[in-house]
Amino acid sequence: MLWLALYFPQLPLEVFARSRQQAGALAVVETDAGRERISRCNSAAQAYGIGPGLALPTALALHTALAVQPRDRTREQRALQALASWAYQFSARISFEPSSLLLEVGASRRLFGGLAALLTIMQREIVQLGYTVQHALAPTATAAGLLARYRPGCRIENADALRVTVAPLPVAALTRDPDARALIRHIGLESIDDALNLPRPEMARRCGPQLSALFDRLLGMAPDPRPEWQPPRYFDQSIELFGEISRTTALVFPARRLMVALCGFLRGLGGGAQRLQWRLIHRDHPPTPFDQGLLDPSRDPDHMLEMFRERIARLQLPEPVIAISLRVDDWQAFEERSLAIFESTQSDDQSLLERLGNRLSEQRVRGLRCLADHRPERAWRFCRPGEPDDSLPFIVQRPIQPPWLLPQPRPLPAPQGLPQYGGDLNLEHPPERIETGWWDGFDISRDYFIAHSPAGERFWVFHDRRGGGWYLHGLFM
Amino acid sequence: MQVVNLEQLKREGALWQGRRNRQADDRVLASGWKVLDELLGGGWPRAALSELLSDAHLGLSVLLPLLARLSERERWLAWVAPPYVPYAPALRAHGIRIERVLLLRDLSSTQRLWAAEQALKSGACGVVLVWPEQVQTAQLRRLQLAAEQGDCPAVLFRSSRAANQGSPAALRLRLRPSPLGIEAEVLKRRGAWSSARCIVPMHGAAGCGSGAREDGVF
Repeated sequence: MLWLALYFPQLPLEVFARSRQQAGALAVVETDAGRERISRCNSAAQAYGIGPGLALPTALALHTALAVQPRDRTREQRALQALASWAYQFSARISFEPSSLLLEVGASRRLFGGLAALLTIMQREIVQLGYTVQHALAPTATAAGLLARYRPGCRIENADALRVTVAPLPVAALTRDPDARALIRHIGLESIDDALNLPRPEMARRCGPQLSALFDRLLGMAPDPRPEWQPPRYFDQSIELFGEISRTTALVFPARRLMVALCGFLRGLGGGAQRLQWRLIHRDHPPTPFDQGLLDPSRDPDHMLEMFRERIARLQLPEPVIAISLRVDDWQAFEERSLAIFESTQSDDQSLLERLGNRLSEQRVRGLRCLADHRPERAWRFCRPGEPDDSLPFIVQRPIQPPWLLPQPRPLPAPQGLPQYGGDLNLEHPPERIETGWWDGFDISRDYFIAHSPAGERFWVFHDRRGGGWYLHGLFM
Repeated sequence: MQVVNLEQLKREGALWQGRRNRQADDRVLASGWKVLDELLGGGWPRAALSELLSDAHLGLSVLLPLLARLSERERWLAWVAPPYVPYAPALRAHGIRIERVLLLRDLSSTQRLWAAEQALKSGACGVVLVWPEQVQTAQLRRLQLAAEQGDCPAVLFRSSRAANQGSPAALRLRLRPSPLGIEAEVLKRRGAWSSARCIVPMHGAAGCGSGAREDGVF
């Protein structure tokens, strides 16, 4: 087994900072013994001489415009969950430690062309997601988690090397449990090496069963059972913008982060998404929802982003945006083949439909099909473009039909009992009688005529045999 | 003295011939109407903009044979902002594969031109029919360029009031209803004299069903 630990040292800060490409001075504060102190701060704040451990009033004296957020562990936990959704593409065995993810990669390294290739992909995407990361590889999960913090970048693949590497680390680093830490101080052990050099019975006596078991798990001498993380059933993540965005183009940056996260999640599930449900959250106004449809299931963030840009170009913001969320309820089986299609040779057909659908909305991009019904209103419907027309055997062949239909029949004046439209209409006889529909409540009885206007135009009009009126229903033009 | 090449003049359409021979020409698409092909020098301009000017969106009936033939290819027949619903059973009765119909509806004036340009340039359309609201000469030029770029005919349906406006279109036809069918008058044809006219017979069997094919063009 080989465990990869990903430790996010700036997580408390990055949960606030990742929505913006550039931010002003920002610090996260924690209360320690009743005093607020800087826990993490960004480089803009560091430029003013602000750093971790500094008391908040001092920091504010150095830079009055410093943006301050209290540390939010719930938000950090949510961010780790989101990162796990993304990381599921690399490993099906994921567990958590504070500010860290642990992934078993022994089984999956080959899939990604070796460890180096795997780490390169992960590193690149983590940056795209807006986080900094330290990693380590070790044969046990506990050791990997420890080394990612204290020996970032190291890669240990056997037990001897592991023991040598962890030996100089402080015992206190092994646990966050305050009781265990007090015990460690009490028994006077500094490094892990000190503890491991004790004879076993002596160690068990001095350290207690809990700490001993921890050493065993660290070195792989005892199993290290961990609850395995299960991926959620759907993707639902959001990014708060910490500030208000009123230009839609400024949404592209946080949206891309969500798309990278989504695509990682989809790769983990072996799926592709076809419908992205976006919501823009405003301070007072109800959220602005909009859907982004893709013609084929996709998990390519660049492709999604291109469509997103076109989609938001026609968006009207009722109010500035304070958060953006992305939800995907269902995904389709995804064939790797189509990845290549998206990259280069996506058919002109598909990309045209997608571009039109994104910019104009899908309701405006339609196809047509015939339905097996005598009534003109029911003899057709709109459909998705390209939907195969399979109604062939049932279609009523009329002698003469107009290429244009009015969406609603338009009443015509008929002062002498004969219809007028731009003058008296001259009717061709005999009419076609359409009398049907009693079974579904849309009951009609009509005589359809071809009518000639004085100017030579031809129309399709009918006489309603029930209500008695005349109507224009189609045009030959 | 300048030597005039008669054949070249014929090719350029600069020489009036009482009855032009219809030649197999890959710059045109046969219209499906014998009289119209003669009027247009073989058919609709391919990869170019044509305008149909009339008072009441006339012209779809004239195009039906062309649409039927183009629908046999795996290309879209794009309809940008048609004024009414294209009646699917009738289109099919005219031999159009309606699954190739792509309708773009409820569009603003600028959306219409944008969509038409996208459709023309995409290479995915066999023909693009456009019902614009208002259109400037510069926008017409963009459509003409897009049609060339995507190797796709564009047909604009415009009000006859536009007849006085200059246009880069390769073909401009004024359409009027007539007791015998639809009268087509050439206002402009690239490389040809204008003001020739013909009547496309619409009434009776020719105006409906697959009757349009009876004149033997296809």
